[in-house]
Amino acid sequence: MTRGRVTKLHEDVSDLLDSLAESPPVKRTDQYWLRLPATGICFLVFGVAGFLLGIFVLPVIRLFSFDRLRGQRMARAVVGGGLRGFVMFMRSVGVLRYEFVGRAKLGRPGQIVVANHPTLIDVVFLLGFTPHATCIVKAGLFTNLITRGAVNAAGYIPNAPADEMIHAAQRALEEGESLVIFPEGSRTVPGQPMQMQRGAANLALRGARVLTPVFITCDPPTLSKNLPWYRIPPRRPTFTLRAGDDIDLETYRHAPLPIASRRLNSDLAGLFAGQLQCETTALNSRAQ
Amino acid sequence: MKSREEIFDTVRCALVELFELEAPAIVPGARFDDDLEIDSIDAVDLIEHLSRSFGRKVSPRDFRSVRTVQDLIDAIDRLQER
Repeated sequence: MTRGRVTKLHEDVSDLLDSLAESPPVKRTDQYWLRLPATGICFLVFGVAGFLLGIFVLPVIRLFSFDRLRGQRMARAVVGGGLRGFVMFMRSVGVLRYEFVGRAKLGRPGQIVVANHPTLIDVVFLLGFTPHATCIVKAGLFTNLITRGAVNAAGYIPNAPADEMIHAAQRALEEGESLVIFPEGSRTVPGQPMQMQRGAANLALRGARVLTPVFITCDPPTLSKNLPWYRIPPRRPTFTLRAGDDIDLETYRHAPLPIASRRLNSDLAGLFAGQLQCETTALNSRAQ
Repeated sequence: MKSREEIFDTVRCALVELFELEAPAIVPGARFDDDLEIDSIDAVDLIEHLSRSFGRKVSPRDFRSVRTVQDLIDAIDRLQER
């Protein structure tokens, strides 16, 4: 026990020393000392607003909507509006800039929207700007005190157990909803290639009419996996969301589903890797 | 009612057809996740396929504890006794 703790301490200290040794003196710009507390305030606002919506507003909608679908639609409008408001708030307090290209391509009936997942708040943009869409979210959000009211009322789909997720999402697509999914399942580990799970490809081939990729980049990186909120970047980050061209699913549908979904998944992985590499290269050349 | 051998044959054919696996790799002791690279999403496809082959509706719930090919054969055998 004690030895474990000493080892942990030792690791922490050597991590700290490594980071001091490694990090070149990056200049902190764009009002770093204002962005730091503003970031904290954003987290607080999200938590308080999410919690209040979940216990006051959304249950009232539920109570007064006589059929499930109408209630869900209203709840999604409220949640989407809240998320859009939150994006505006984050921009107005100066913690980020954003650009959303091709937004009009999103939200069509039976559309599966597939996005990469570099940061904690990707879903805030996607659901904020595609308010009628449903989304596959981490099952933990259904027990989290802040998010459970919203995800329940909006009828989002938990990512586990796998069989229930597949069937609920397939039904949603067949009923003409649009569905947002992050095939990596969790945020990209910085510096590692994307790990695409096959669930998104499988779902697309089961029930979607059209698949639209959304490429998300964040420069400089922030709110990535394994990074606490207060490690904000030296410059104000810019989020770029770019909706790509639709992918024709029919060409994949001749093979048995498991084989077809492996093919589609590997094509998607290639598409995202290529596109994101191009965008990063473009950013780097602009910075020089 | 199918014998355990017949069940095994059906399962093996399904795995070959759906996942392009090599038949000799499919032995009773093979683990789905490590040896055959079949994940929980693939399992949903497999179970749907098998329920069509055996002509009965099954729930994925009945298969949650399945880890190996042998477990799957046992689970199917139990279901047809029900």
